[in-house]
Amino acid sequence: MSRAFSLFAIVFAVVYPVVYAVSVWKNYALFTYHPALNEFGLGVEKPREGPAMYWYGWMATSSVVAGLAGLAACLLPEQAARRLWPGLAWVVPLCAMLFFAWLLRDYFLR
Amino acid sequence: MTTVLLIVHGLLAVALLGAITHQAASVLWPATRPAGSFTGRFRAVAAPGYANTVVVLYVLTAILGAVIYAEYRISVRVVLVEMKLDAANGSFELKEHLAAIALGMLPAYWWSWRQPDGRLRAPLTAMLAFVVWWNFLVGHIVNNIRGFGS
Repeated sequence: MSRAFSLFAIVFAVVYPVVYAVSVWKNYALFTYHPALNEFGLGVEKPREGPAMYWYGWMATSSVVAGLAGLAACLLPEQAARRLWPGLAWVVPLCAMLFFAWLLRDYFLR
Repeated sequence: MTTVLLIVHGLLAVALLGAITHQAASVLWPATRPAGSFTGRFRAVAAPGYANTVVVLYVLTAILGAVIYAEYRISVRVVLVEMKLDAANGSFELKEHLAAIALGMLPAYWWSWRQPDGRLRAPLTAMLAFVVWWNFLVGHIVNNIRGFGS
């Protein structure tokens, strides 16, 4: 397996959950979907008729940022790339999962 | 149409559940000798061979889930809120976030199964298995509470 893909995979796994968590928390959706109207809008839009869905937009934001970060990591010199601990690929997503359990705690504590 | 997609989504999830559970069991609780029992044979599978299948099934299941999620927001979530079923509602919210986070782990998961040392296999596979199980059970329970078209 190439060094470039391993770097990309690790950096993607680290950056994606962080950007996703921030996107959900601050609502940085790349686009909004209005399911009742079957319409998309660029960026964050208020609900029109029925609910506005940001989940797809949050994933799009995270994928774009993590993809760019992964590609940038491929350009790192070998010396710098060696300092990246591969374990972050599971530690950071685990922290993101715990963050969401905390964020949604009111649903379970009411 | 949504019901058909939901059934296909569920069937794909069952296949994914089987594949990831086999793989997780084999990496977390490896069989140490020729397996004789049912659990021994369950753990003694050639786990690396499951990685491609898991990735493809996860992506397909997630795509179908994303398609029917819109209908859920319109016709199911409203009912959960009205019935004050907060735990079910929250569990489904968590399901969607866990599904998204696990999607971002897939490249690293796939890569880990192609490494000779495979130090990342156990944690990434265990986390993916947890997400798949959580999402399967929550989806099943919420569908029991309020299925599409009911």
